[in-house]
Amino acid sequence: MGKKNLQELWEYIMTQVELSISPANFNTWFCSSFIVKISDDGVVYIGVPSQFFKDWYIKKFHTLLLKIIREVSYEFRNIEYLIVKDEHRKLPKETKKTSGILELPLDEFYINKSDNLNPRYTFETFVVGSFNTLAYTAAQAALQRPGISYNPLFIYGGTGRGKTHLIQAIGNQFKKQFQGRKVFYLTSEKFAIDYTDSVQAGTANRFKDKYRQYDLLIMDDVQFLSKKEKTQEELFHLFNALHDTNKQIIFSSDCAPVIIPDIAERLKGRLASGMTVDIGEPDTESRMAIIQKKAALHGFMLSDEVIEYVATSMTGSIRELEGMVNSIVCHAQIKGYAPDIAEVRQSLRSFTRPQKNISVKNIVDKVAEFYGIDQESIYEKTRRREVVRPRQVIMYILREDFNISYPTIGTKLGGRDHTTVIHSCEKIKREITVDTTLLKEIQSIRTILV
Amino acid sequence: MNISINKKLFSEAVHIASRFSERKNTTLPALSSILIIAGDEGIKIRATNLEIGVDLKVEGEIKDDGVVAVPATILQQIASSLTNEGNIILERTGDTLSLTSGTGKSSIKTVSYDDFPSIPFPENSKNRIVISGVILRNIFTSLASCASQSTIRPELASIYFFLEGGVLTAAATDSFRLAEKKVPLLNKGTQGKFLIPAKNVLDIAQALPDDDIILSFDEHQCAFVSSKGMFVSRLTNAIYPDYRQIIPKESIVEAVVLKKDFEIALKQTTIFSDSFQKVRISFDPKKNTVSFFARNADIGESSETLQANVSGSALELSFNHKYLSTILSLTSVESISLLAAGIGRPLIIKGVGDTSLLYLVSPMNQ
Repeated sequence: MGKKNLQELWEYIMTQVELSISPANFNTWFCSSFIVKISDDGVVYIGVPSQFFKDWYIKKFHTLLLKIIREVSYEFRNIEYLIVKDEHRKLPKETKKTSGILELPLDEFYINKSDNLNPRYTFETFVVGSFNTLAYTAAQAALQRPGISYNPLFIYGGTGRGKTHLIQAIGNQFKKQFQGRKVFYLTSEKFAIDYTDSVQAGTANRFKDKYRQYDLLIMDDVQFLSKKEKTQEELFHLFNALHDTNKQIIFSSDCAPVIIPDIAERLKGRLASGMTVDIGEPDTESRMAIIQKKAALHGFMLSDEVIEYVATSMTGSIRELEGMVNSIVCHAQIKGYAPDIAEVRQSLRSFTRPQKNISVKNIVDKVAEFYGIDQESIYEKTRRREVVRPRQVIMYILREDFNISYPTIGTKLGGRDHTTVIHSCEKIKREITVDTTLLKEIQSIRTILV
Repeated sequence: MNISINKKLFSEAVHIASRFSERKNTTLPALSSILIIAGDEGIKIRATNLEIGVDLKVEGEIKDDGVVAVPATILQQIASSLTNEGNIILERTGDTLSLTSGTGKSSIKTVSYDDFPSIPFPENSKNRIVISGVILRNIFTSLASCASQSTIRPELASIYFFLEGGVLTAAATDSFRLAEKKVPLLNKGTQGKFLIPAKNVLDIAQALPDDDIILSFDEHQCAFVSSKGMFVSRLTNAIYPDYRQIIPKESIVEAVVLKKDFEIALKQTTIFSDSFQKVRISFDPKKNTVSFFARNADIGESSETLQANVSGSALELSFNHKYLSTILSLTSVESISLLAAGIGRPLIIKGVGDTSLLYLVSPMNQ
């Protein structure tokens, strides 16, 4: 039996003993003991600090310890106590364990100091779905010929779509592929702070040199550079320096480079000069895959029912999805079994957004405003094309998002028949699967309404 | 339980026992308490902190048998406040112990005595010597100060006892200096060696009576048994360095000085010693002098020259003055001899006519 097994066995014994005796007794008698060895004929030798301990163990704890080790295995026949040399006693004290079983690990937040990369973000944990295939392929291509194929690589998408995961995964993969080359990940905010600090300290040159040494520079959330003119200028120079020497640069942002407000034109042009890809909203299947993967990372198998419920119960960011999975996993860890759908519903109550009570008129106003038409025309019996589409959209949203009955929708929108409403909803539902502009419009309207 | 003890005897016993109880606030209350047993073997007072333990016999009258454990500090405070002649009556009812002495009465909450550890006695009955308590106490108190304070090397934080050919050799070192004492024994047969932790030794030394003591030991435990009771200590389980190697066999210069002169000169010069506490000693065989010199860049300097009997060649050595002054408490003879073996080699200090003691100090770099 190896050293590690002995320690594990002793730790198990300790946890059992701890339950049976008072804490004071436990601290006094058990903290400095350990298993020395287990002989072939099944005698466990426990090392104790002095004769006092030996006598007391024999008198008080022998039967208890024997009972515990017999529970572990019948191979253990007996326990003998040894008084160990002083030097040997130091070791087990230092490796005293401080574990709580239910403690959630924090190693997810571990970050490598030299390159700022979080090793948790890798391609292995990255779920590729239809919504991000393009971004994923671009990332792989950039990795194959860094600095040449797509430079800079600009990835944008809404919050919680996995931009950071993707760009950090590129960094981690790069590190693995090209050992010895330097990678650095930072947020644009960090860059700005670093720059201001260096100006303040009068070490602007060192700042320039620092960033020019990297073979792969990854900058997250560049949209925060808006209105920071000097920092932008610095980034512009840095960009030129890196780009000219064929060093790969990767940016991420929440919108396309051309729409980032208040950014110098010359920088805008450069950001968009390489490959620009967006990560869309994940579809339900992708979300299900993501949930499955995240749960598996925690060592949990969730039932399909639960996964479907979680995937459909909320749209939007993967980050929130992850939060839900974490919450489910945590509940499961406490209870000790995988939760069923009812429990999941219970535990996710806090995540579902409160349904806002918005009046039909309010929605009509907002949508009319969005399409730039007069609100009154919605209620009228007109069939003009520019009115019909918004009216159908309103019906669709009222039905889908607010669960209002078809007849009610009909009456509210100028006394229409409920079949008209059904037809409109079906039509929109059909159209959004093919017409992406319509889908985007509806998404934008939803964000206005929330 | 109901017992009656002479106040003086009780207070003595409690004072001794309280030294052996755990003084730090430990988690196990039994360790910081004193156990009083009244039974067939008379009245016994016990205490232990798992390093050392005591089992004292106290004369007294037992009206009712029983066992009780009470917090040591409380009992000690009560014992030291006892003044008048007469007896103190200890009576346990439920979980309180009431102490009645003359006019006063106090009740103490007791501690559960189930947790009180047993005090182990060395198993091997062969390893035993008889030695006078005065001598043993002297060895303990003088050598304990030379042992290392740090517990990093447990063997250096202990006193080494070596029994061979009817001589008990005790040594202590902290690797800068070393003290060794030899004592002849009555029974010549016993052989063995063991290490007692120095801090345990000091506690036991305070409690040892003057009369003869039976010292017995085994691999892990040693016990001092006297008519009054028994003291035990854990032994350090390590190998003591072979210190005899570093004792120089020959010397190039020897000086004999009066201990009183040495003490005064050392006191004068240490005032000016620097942050390293350095004092330089120069042996001058031509002038027959030993001079002490110390310089502190911030304060100034001082030198002191002693008349001495110097034979050999001239030599200068620097020492930490603290280590030099230790010898003053180690020996009681009037003159001491300093033997130096050369630059960078340790200085031996002995009492003239006292062969039992050997003290050795390592020099500092020049």
